[in-house]
Formats: sequence, structure tokens, C-alpha cells
Amino acid sequence: MSQSTHKKEYEIAIIGQPNVGKSTLFNILTGRKARVANWPGVTVEVHEGETDFDGSRIKLIDLPGIYGFSTISLEERIARNYILSGRPDAVIVLVDSLNPERTMYLAIQTLEMTEKVVIGFTKSDAAHAHGVHINYDLISKRLGVPVVPVSAATLRGIRSLLRTTIDVARGRAGRKKPLRIDYGELEPYVSSVESLLKQYEERMEYPIRWMALRLLEGDNDLYKYVRGVCGDDIAEEIVKIREEIKRIFRRDPAELLAKKRFEYLQRVLGDAIVRLEIKKGGFERFTRLFYRPFIGPVLSLIILLGMFMIAFTINTGFPLNILLDSLGMHDAASAVEEYSIGGLMEKLFSWISSWITNSFGESWLTDLVANGIISGVGSVLIFLPLIMIVSLFLAILEDSGIAPRMAVSLHGPLSKIGVSGHAIFPMTMSLGCNVPAILATRAIPSRSERLRLLMTLPFIPCQARLVVILAFASSLVSGYGALLVVLGYSAAFLAFAVVNKILYIYEKKKTGKKEPEIILELPPIHRPLGKVLWWHVWDNSKHFLKKAGTIIFSLSILIWFLVNVSPSLAITDNPSDSIAAVFSHYLSPIVYPIGIEPGKAWIIAFALLIGFIAKEAVIETLTILTSTASPQQALMLLGLTASQLSALTVFVVLYVPCIATIAVIYSESRSVRHTLATIALMLGVAYVAMLITYGLSLII
Amino acid sequence: MGAYSRTVVLEELPSGSRARIVEIMGRGGWIYRLYQMGLTPGVIVDVVMNIGRGPIIIRVMGVEIAIGRGIARRIIVEPINT
Ligand SMILES: Nc1nc2c(ncn2[C@@H]2O[C@H](COP(=O)(O)OP(=O)(O)O)[C@@H](O)[C@H]2O)c(=O)[nH]1
Repeated sequence: MSQSTHKKEYEIAIIGQPNVGKSTLFNILTGRKARVANWPGVTVEVHEGETDFDGSRIKLIDLPGIYGFSTISLEERIARNYILSGRPDAVIVLVDSLNPERTMYLAIQTLEMTEKVVIGFTKSDAAHAHGVHINYDLISKRLGVPVVPVSAATLRGIRSLLRTTIDVARGRAGRKKPLRIDYGELEPYVSSVESLLKQYEERMEYPIRWMALRLLEGDNDLYKYVRGVCGDDIAEEIVKIREEIKRIFRRDPAELLAKKRFEYLQRVLGDAIVRLEIKKGGFERFTRLFYRPFIGPVLSLIILLGMFMIAFTINTGFPLNILLDSLGMHDAASAVEEYSIGGLMEKLFSWISSWITNSFGESWLTDLVANGIISGVGSVLIFLPLIMIVSLFLAILEDSGIAPRMAVSLHGPLSKIGVSGHAIFPMTMSLGCNVPAILATRAIPSRSERLRLLMTLPFIPCQARLVVILAFASSLVSGYGALLVVLGYSAAFLAFAVVNKILYIYEKKKTGKKEPEIILELPPIHRPLGKVLWWHVWDNSKHFLKKAGTIIFSLSILIWFLVNVSPSLAITDNPSDSIAAVFSHYLSPIVYPIGIEPGKAWIIAFALLIGFIAKEAVIETLTILTSTASPQQALMLLGLTASQLSALTVFVVLYVPCIATIAVIYSESRSVRHTLATIALMLGVAYVAMLITYGLSLII
Repeated sequence: MGAYSRTVVLEELPSGSRARIVEIMGRGGWIYRLYQMGLTPGVIVDVVMNIGRGPIIIRVMGVEIAIGRGIARRIIVEPINT
């Protein structure tokens, strides 16, 4: 109490190149506020978190992973504008201890913008094992910047990093001025631009030297800004200087400056880093197989397929039950099914439902709770384990470094439909949820490819749609159930491929674009960190539980009312007198072509309508509408033929996934037209595919 | 300007070879990405894998990077004998 404490709030930015371990460290520092993604460059949204240290409150801003500040991508712009805004009291630049020569480049560039920098060397626990020995003091002395080795794995250096950062924020450590690199023979040109800008120093918001360098590098954003402040004449002078460099050196100034920076870096790091040759692990060598033609893509597909097989089996018994069944082991097959996690949870929910009805007597209220809420939410909750397992597998692929290798292996096949290997990240994510997948497209270098993906990624079935497919499948004899799942996914990927190809051909005709390109870093293969895996699983489960607790819960109540209340607002036992029935009557004709009789058609139509909001709600609606305890019973009651179920499955897989996806497509494309076109495309493709499926299944 | 007779494009280098970057031709955002990843003239690249089709895997400054063939065609290099 006697001591005066610095009770101040600091705003600290964290940046780093992709894969340096930024997300992991950010999570450690803030006690888990952000999601970790190892897809290079995908941590796009800016996350914030807070931590207390020594009586100070530190607000941490997690900027996107970027390679530099050239403003070629949205992320680079976000990061640069924030650092230049003057808001951060200090910037922590993270450098990968396993690969400092390259990842320090961002630190150098940051130091040219601001002096308030701390450099953190991540993964310090792993450096020695990789044969990297770093003299941190020497680097710190040469740059005049504090350098702190840290490890998110062992937590070493975390406190020291925070303490040093606060020192820098208070001006007690670190540089007093931004870094000045000697650009050698280019210096005269840099100084010329500097002196042009100097006249306007008062009105400039950014450091003059940094601006001069960026202008020579051809930074368009900054050029416009300077023209606004200094007028056309000065702007023209600057262009002339740039042209002169090009004429004399016969090189792009951006290339010359980048080269100089790397040379400077080499002088700083040269004898401060010692690398001992460590021979590659056997597994690392094995992963080279991903780069081989044929073997690579096949290996990737086997991994993805195997992953889903295992997840399905644990959750629903499928497809192991079918395998056992076909081997004549019928008892074992039904045991696998009955004691799968899904089977057990389903039992639990129907037990709770009947317990409520039995103990509180039959009334509209117990009906609402038992048949509305519990079976509605329950029919979705039984898929939680599935979501956890799939998330775990995807996290392993991401965190181990296998995912980018899969991207390389599939680049060849994917480029046939006009999509690059980069698309594999959003595509795989789509199998979990389309919303983050669409955000992840920001890391794709080609804009036209990105717009195409915004339209077509939603075809790839997320876990919500998987929930519906599995529910449909469970109502069929097991062999056919398996076929239904295969059908659903095949239809989805076929639609994805065909639509992409058509859009690509159209674009090629119009603009004469060449084949898709890839530039992708391949981080070293390593064993994933346990806590990172757990974060992934927990984040996805939390997201799912939240959705079940809010959207699905409210929808359950809403649907129950729409189904149990008549248009004259009286409670009715007969669903076909209900508001839902009367209303959906108008929609029923859409399913007539697949031979569903009018008496049942409204139920299906209504379920599909609710499915616009969230796909899980389709089975929830069916369960409530038929007042049954499980989706299986609901479908049994509806008595759909296998052909009809197949057609419906295809429709459900392909039509608009959910409101959230539409919202994010809009926010990413910023175009109402693009969004509406996507909706129309999905509905059109889904409907046509449904009719084709029905037609084909009748022939077979 | 005399040494250009020995130059080839990165795409033509076989697996296991080593070369020095002479020039990167072309325009567009991807060229800045290459600079940022350390691919500038004078820098030494190792070809980890090039099997005649699909992306080429190279190592620059200790990091492996996959590069599409279209881009590899625009990177002029001078092979170094090892
Ligand atoms: N050994 C070790 N590995 C780490 C550490 N921090 C992160 N990693 C690994 O480095 C990889 C990249 O981490 P991530 O936080 O996703 O990087 P980001 O792209 O910079 O956000 C992941 O595979 C992590 O498991 C660490 O402190 N020690």
C-alpha cells in the first residue's frame, strides 16, 4: 500500500510471420481468448485479450500472421495500419527460433516503422533439439532492442517477456528511434525522397524515412496518401526517382530494398546463430511421399477418409456395424451400434423425455419440454462427440504440419478445377463449419479464385449437414445407410468440382487467366502440442454447445408452438391443423416431384424451410412435427422410400447451409449481388440435383 | 552482364540441386510474397524435390517452400556445382 504502483493500462500488439507460434503464445498470455489455427496466414481476425502483470493491465492485440508490410493482402494492411496508428504502447515481434534468418525479416521491417519493439524468440524449448544455438545478447546489442527467448510449451520466458514489454512501453528499455538500415548505393535516392517529404513533416502522420522507403517500393496506398498531403508535384518527383532507380539498376526497387534488408539481417545474425546439422527424422522423410504424383493425393485422401471413418464409428457405430453385419456377425454389429456414443446418448434423452411425461403427467407444458425442447435439442446434442473427434483429427493435421503438405499434394488435381492447393485449408475446414472456412479464404493470393470459393465452399457439407445425413442414414437398413452417406458427400464434392470448373472456364474465356499458382511455406513436421489440440477441440465443442443452447433451443420452442398451435391460437393435438401445416401447405409442391404425398409433403417442406436457419434444425423439426423421440422414429413414421430419402439427402447437402454462412459470405464479398447469386446458385443446383438423384434411383 | 549463358529457370532444376537466384521476372502480388520469404537475387536455393509436375519444393534460408510451376518458370537461377 505504501508503494506507489504503476496502475496503468498498456496496449500491446503482437505480430509474427505465419507459423512462428504466435497464436499459441497469445493464448498462453491471455488465458485462452482466441482460436489457434496453423494454416499459414489464416489467423485473420484480430483477436484481443487481457492480462495483468505487476499491477499493470495489459491489453494484447493479436495481429494477423504476415510475412511483411507490403499491403498486398488485407492482413498486411490491417497490421500495418494498426502499428502506425500510434495506439500500441509497444509491439512484440515474434521470431521463430527454429528459423530466425527468415522470420526476423518482419522484425526488421517493424523496427523501421517504430522504435517501441520487443523481439520474442518463440519455441526456445525446441531450438537445441533442432541444432539451433542463438546468442540472444549479441542480437539484442546489435539491434538495440530487447530480445527475450520464450516457450509456450514450457512457459519459460513468459514473465520476462511481459516485464520487458512494459519497460519498453514506459520508455525504460529499447530503442529511442526507429531502425536506420544503410541501403548503400540506394541511399542517395532514399535521401532525395526524404528531403521532399521533410517539407511537409508537420502534416505527416508517419515516420519520414519509412515513408520514403515504402514509396520507393511502390506502395500504392501510401502514394495516394502523400499525393493528398503534398500535392501532385511532389508525388510526381517521387515517381521520377523511382523510375530512375529502375533505369540505372535495371531492377524493381522493391527487390533491391528487400535484398538489402536480408543482407543487413545476415550481418546481425551471421555469427550470432550457430546451426548444427541434425539429421531428418524418419517421419519427416516419410512425409516427402506427399510430394509424389499419384501417391501424394491418394495418401491425402486416405487420411481424410480414414479420419471420418474412425470418427463415425466411435459416434454412431457406422460403418463398422455394416462391415460386421456383412461378415455375418450380426450380434456384434448391433452391439457396436447400440453402444456407440450416439446410441447411448439417444437412449439417455428418450429416457429423460419419458421420465418427464411420466412424473409430471400429460399436459401441454410437459409436451413442450419433453417433445419440444428435450428431443429437439437432444437430437442435435447426440452429435457432440462426433464434433469433438473430428475437431481433434483436424487439429492434429494442422498442428503437426501435415496439412500444408496435403495442400501441396492436392494442388495438381485441384488446379484442374481452377482451384489452387491453398484452397485445401478452407475446404477441410468446411467439413467442420463453413463460417471459419469462408474467413480462411482471405489467405488465398488470387482474388478471383477467392470469389469463386466464396460461392462454392458452402457446397461442402459441414458437421451440421453430416448430422442430418447420418440421421437419414440411420433410418435405412444399414447397407443402404452407408450408401446414403457416400451419396451425400459425393454429390457435394461433385457439385463443388463442377460449379468451380464452370466458373473457372467462364473466367478464363473472359480474362485469359492462366492456371492457379501456389506459394506455400511447409513448416517442419513435429509432434503436436497437447494443449493446442485440446484448445481446438474445446473451442469447437463450445461453439457447438452454444449453438445448441441458443439457436437450437429457441428454435425447438418456436417449432413446437408452430406445430401445436392452430392459426386461431388454440392448442391442438393434430399437427395438420397447426400454423406450420397451414403455412407450409403453400410450399409443399416443391417436394411433389419426388413423389411425396401431400399429407406428408408439408412436414418435409417445413423442415427444409427451418433448415435455412441452421441445418441441424431439419431433423429437429421432423422429430417435433411427428412427436417422436428420435429422428429415426420420425423418418420411419414418414415412411419415405429409399429413393425419396436419397433425393432429400442430396437437396439438404447442397442447399444454403445456414444463415450464418450467408452473413459471412456477404461480409467477405461486400456485395449483395454476389451473395444473392450464391443463394440462387445453391438452391438451383440443389433442386436439380435432387430431381436427378430421384430419377436415377428409380431407374436403378 | 557476361554470365547469363549459365542461367536457367528454377523449374528446370532437378531434385537435390543448388542454385543462386539471378532474377525474378514478372509483376503481381506474388512477387512481393517471394521477396518477403527471402527469395531475392543472390540468395541460394536448394531444390528439395522437383518431379517434373506439380509444385516444386525448395529450401530457402532453412525453410521449405512449395512453389507452383508457373512461378518457378519466372525465377532465373544460376546453378552451383556441389
Ligand atoms: N516446441 C514448441 N512448439 C511450439 C511452441 N509454440 C508453438 N509451437 C508450434 O508451432 C506451430 C505454429 O504455432 P501457431 O501458434 O499455430 O503459429 P502461428 O501461425 O504463428 O499462430 C504449431 O504447430 C505449434 O505446435 C513452443 O513454445 N514450443
